[in-house]
Amino acid sequence: MSPTPSEGIARARSWWPGPRLVSVLVGGGAAILVLYPIAYLIQASLSVGDPQARPPEAYGFDNFTGLGRYAHILGNTLQVAAVATVLAVVVGFVMGWILSRTNVPGRAALEQLMAMPYYVTPLMGALAWAIIASPGSGFVNQLWRGMGGEGHVIDINTSWGIAWVMALFEGSVAFVMIGAVMKSMDPSMEEASQVLGAGRTRTMLRITLPLVLPGVLGAAVYVFAEMLGSFSAALVLGLPARFYVVTTAMYQMVSQYPPRFPTAAAMGVSLFAVMFGMVWIYRRIISAGTYVTITGKAFRPRVMDVGSLRWPFLAICLAYLTVAVILPVLTIVYASFQHLTAASPGLRNLTLANYATALSLDAVRSALWNSLLLGLATASIGVLLIGFLSWLIYRSRLPGAGVIEYLLMFPQAVPRLVFAFGMMWAWLVFPLPIYGTLWLLLIAYVTVFLPLGLRTISGVILQIDRALEESAQMCGATWGYRLRTVTMPLLKPGLVAAWLLLFIASVRELGASILLMGPKSKVITPAIVESWFSTSTELAAAMALLQTLAVAVALVIMFAVARRAVQGGGE
Amino acid sequence: MDQASIEVRDLVVRYGAVPAVRGVSFTVGAGEHLTLLGPSGCGKTTTLRAIAGLERPASGEIRIGGSPVFSSSPRVNIPAERRGLSMVFQSYAIWPHMSVFDNVAYGLRVRKRPEAEVTSRVREALDLVQLGDFAARSASKLSGGQQQRVALARAFVFSPSVLLFDEPLSNLDAKLRAEMRVELKELQRRLAITSVYVTHDLEEALAISDRVIVMRDGVIEQVGTPGDIYDRPRNTFVADFVGSANLIRGRRRPDLESAGLVVLETPGGALVHGTAPGRPTGSEALMAVRTVRLRLDRARPAASVNAWTGRVRQRVFQGDFTQYHVDWEGRTLIVRSAAAEALAEGDEVYVSVDPRYCVVLED
Amino acid sequence: MTERAHTAVTRRRFLKTGALAAVAVPLVGRASRADAATKVLDFSTGADVAKAEAEGEVVYYGHDSEPGIAVLLDAFKKDFPKIKTSYVRLQTGALYAKVTAERSAGRFGVDVLQLSDISPAIDFQKKGGWEQYQSPEYAAYKPEYLSTPAGYFGVPGVGFAGIAYNRTKLKPEQAPKTWKDINNPAYRDGVSVKLATSGMQHSQWYILRKMYGNDFWQEFAKQRPKGFDARAQLFDRLAKGDDRMCALAEYAGYTLYQEKGAEIDFVAPPEGMPAIAIYIGVVNKAPHPEAAKLFVDWALSKRGQAIYQNQKILLYGSVRNDAGPMPTGKRLADFKLLFPTDWNDYVASHPLFVKEWNSIMGL
Repeated sequence: MSPTPSEGIARARSWWPGPRLVSVLVGGGAAILVLYPIAYLIQASLSVGDPQARPPEAYGFDNFTGLGRYAHILGNTLQVAAVATVLAVVVGFVMGWILSRTNVPGRAALEQLMAMPYYVTPLMGALAWAIIASPGSGFVNQLWRGMGGEGHVIDINTSWGIAWVMALFEGSVAFVMIGAVMKSMDPSMEEASQVLGAGRTRTMLRITLPLVLPGVLGAAVYVFAEMLGSFSAALVLGLPARFYVVTTAMYQMVSQYPPRFPTAAAMGVSLFAVMFGMVWIYRRIISAGTYVTITGKAFRPRVMDVGSLRWPFLAICLAYLTVAVILPVLTIVYASFQHLTAASPGLRNLTLANYATALSLDAVRSALWNSLLLGLATASIGVLLIGFLSWLIYRSRLPGAGVIEYLLMFPQAVPRLVFAFGMMWAWLVFPLPIYGTLWLLLIAYVTVFLPLGLRTISGVILQIDRALEESAQMCGATWGYRLRTVTMPLLKPGLVAAWLLLFIASVRELGASILLMGPKSKVITPAIVESWFSTSTELAAAMALLQTLAVAVALVIMFAVARRAVQGGGE
Repeated sequence: MDQASIEVRDLVVRYGAVPAVRGVSFTVGAGEHLTLLGPSGCGKTTTLRAIAGLERPASGEIRIGGSPVFSSSPRVNIPAERRGLSMVFQSYAIWPHMSVFDNVAYGLRVRKRPEAEVTSRVREALDLVQLGDFAARSASKLSGGQQQRVALARAFVFSPSVLLFDEPLSNLDAKLRAEMRVELKELQRRLAITSVYVTHDLEEALAISDRVIVMRDGVIEQVGTPGDIYDRPRNTFVADFVGSANLIRGRRRPDLESAGLVVLETPGGALVHGTAPGRPTGSEALMAVRTVRLRLDRARPAASVNAWTGRVRQRVFQGDFTQYHVDWEGRTLIVRSAAAEALAEGDEVYVSVDPRYCVVLED
Repeated sequence: MTERAHTAVTRRRFLKTGALAAVAVPLVGRASRADAATKVLDFSTGADVAKAEAEGEVVYYGHDSEPGIAVLLDAFKKDFPKIKTSYVRLQTGALYAKVTAERSAGRFGVDVLQLSDISPAIDFQKKGGWEQYQSPEYAAYKPEYLSTPAGYFGVPGVGFAGIAYNRTKLKPEQAPKTWKDINNPAYRDGVSVKLATSGMQHSQWYILRKMYGNDFWQEFAKQRPKGFDARAQLFDRLAKGDDRMCALAEYAGYTLYQEKGAEIDFVAPPEGMPAIAIYIGVVNKAPHPEAAKLFVDWALSKRGQAIYQNQKILLYGSVRNDAGPMPTGKRLADFKLLFPTDWNDYVASHPLFVKEWNSIMGL
């Protein structure tokens, strides 16, 4: 049979550039995106002399030594993050255990619903809980006083309140990670214990807990790092109580005249250092163990029959969902239809005016549109990049893959507001006119959310049998052809999940956007905060609902499109 | 069909600091079927993957069809996709998101063959592996055996110069494996492509190869035809790995030698006549005797040499054969017998073996 | 404290001494041009309207609440539909910080700037940030309401603040009556004010400090006041009862919330009410210079002033010579307003204000 195989191969040789060149370009691009703002951040933090001079007049460590004045703020940050982490991990563990180890009814549905708090967004959660539990006008306290009580029974404007809201709406990642740990445990280990005569409790304490603990610890460290950089809850709930954490303090400092960029930068760098340390510890924990959390086989964990305890467990799950999803959403809806929010409004108080205002404000309409557009762009570009990058890092076996992975995961260790601060500082002087435009926001979003997407995809790509790509290689396919025909299609479900994640994350993003918006590049979440602070709670509630609706509609459309695409490309 | 020869010279492959292949050299003639046989960790798969281009050796040279595809000096390393080889993987690596047809057609489409040619060649290949009706089916809905055939078809459809097999049958159950073995041999005969086959299964290796290379710990222990390997193992390892054998140590008795045979005297005084095919023997030697070559009789056999008495100590029924543990000369001999007549434990028997099947080992 | 000090900061004094004229500002070296004025709609403008419409856009940076800015810009758009509007809203301190940061990096994207504090306005003048432009509408304003020298910025409105409290939380006998009363420990943890970014807050701080001494605000710090960014927040909380008393209750905010049905009462202390002027001007190196000039002229014209004064959400008192009464029926002259007398001192006090206020707020 002609032609000869080697001729065939030669003809099929692609014109694509070699993977080495591409990886250098990509690595270089990633380095610029990630390190450029960090460099500026550090430069700003070392600037002594006139705080407004650019470039800095002199360099020194005065800003850092002067941070002693703000020890209470640093203390607040650590305290809130710690409490929130404990809450999130406990909730995550309890929920994870109930949903993967017991025969509580409706497990499958409940597990899906556990993702809902993520979609509620921390800002909406903070707004809702402010309406529910602020000491003066909160619904709960109103009811309390109506029943004859004095003062208030709960106060959300405290460090506990902030930690509570953070744990509810930003801590769902703890559930995901701990759930994964539970699922990756081989049930035969527990079975062996029981066969040898150990009771359920003893097995749980001696076998299950020690096996699961390292993974749980890893999750705790990771969650702690995330909480350090939290912004929305502290902004909405902390400011009215004169309670500052590093992120909100930074925001205040750069929003004054004269702005205190160097001090803010020094605070940011300190926070960044702590977060960096935490993420490093986290990576040590998960790489040291054989308790693989994300990758590896998923076992069918043994489900225990807990008898009549099923119902209390179900009640616990439902209680969590109520507190984290139903109650906040209902509160927001309730508030949005009132003039002045009250627990039991008279009919006179009900109005559609908030929605009318929200929809008529050009700022709101354009902000919504911008947010959806940005979400679409971030998710789509992000997913393409991630598909390629994950192949590069985990499959290409090129030198420097480890460095690229490290660079790309770097923004994980930087609180988003701090990163945005660096970006603002850095891109202000960049010769390209992207400052104040949606492009700047796009770059910021893609950079800070890339780690999120990579984490999602890495689990999927590592489960793809290497042989699937090698066999394509043996059939003569170049790296580009393989990537396109084998790797990407197999990654599709993971890419869809990552797309969703990125879309939601970018629409709900506050910390990164609030510093980088311009007159024509407004986005919705800062706009909601804006209206909370400068107009009214009710308008903010109406805008929050509009945001949720818009996102829901966009997602429905995307799902329909995606399902058609997946079906079309299949068998 | 272009058949290529393969030349491997002084191949060294390392995983980090650990050497997996430590200086291996062999050739495969054009159209020949060579098997790399050995226990897990012996380096056979690594060697195969080095030939494929999926592993990068530390040093050595690999030539295909005379031209070097890898060489440490001068530096040559042609990537796997350009070597014109093909490979069947242990896990089959069938792409679940494509149909059977698309899986098999992949290599042809990479080579940009016209669609009409692709269709006809794919159909031919599928017919050859008896999956003609499966072309439109989704590849994720196949059984193990079917996937294996698709992997095969995909591998040879574009007429590679060399076919590499990485333990392709090890994931099948025993019965299927036995069937596939026969089919594979038939296929090889028909296609007549140079093949390198890796397996740890002895029967497979003996069934389908022209030559076998036995490997252990990254080095070659013996090279030869299946018969060579089986009947004339070079050392203890090969003797024990390729079929089961009894090892008999003894003092050489050059005074009793005749007709090209070697005689060993066991410590117990028994004389064992055997062969030492071109192997130097010292004053002490070790002989390997295959368990299936020993005969057990109630009555004294007619043979003049290599006939002794013994007592059956244990009897293990294995279906196709019965394994007897026989007390002999102060030790136990293991005999596998397919004879219908069963011997009971405690029976006195005569043990005999043809001297051709007593082989002196090199170490 | 003393009667003398008391009278030193009355509104009359403000008018007499010609507040802004007292600020010694070096000329930036550009001769003021009297631009040719044309009539458009019912006001005069020095801008080329055709060119402004060709530019098609005006970028406005201001400190009012979003709905407030929306109302202003919508009114402008109705008059000039061909000119698109876009804006950035931040409290004055933050706004000015953003503008200076942008300009120091060479970004010039602002057409019109409105500030609620004179310190950044003067600072901007020193830095050459304002465009030298003689608006024809300046003719309707007394010289003390224009920059010195004229041509940098004008005053589109005046705001002032007293005390407000929630009448369901405080009985009338508990209600504050004079400025000294805000330090009454009975209001501890129940008082709200604005943050250091607010121009209004700077004015109150300066005036009451001059009136009651430098320790006044240190006493106030013991009240553990809560600071916010915008009057809407202050009144929102007051109306809902989250705070008992607001120590910087802007008259405009009170009017708005009273209409909404909030149970709040307003107190105009007998010492007088700290007042601020808001300042608007065309920015140097604006991307749409003609549109900017048109906007400023419009804002200072009778049409624009009607918006600033009569729209409930803005409700500034107009200082145009021919201004009518505010929608509540009152005029500025009906209130006892307090302005700083020594403007240089006032401007120079800003850094100290920020520092002290931040520490009072716990930052």
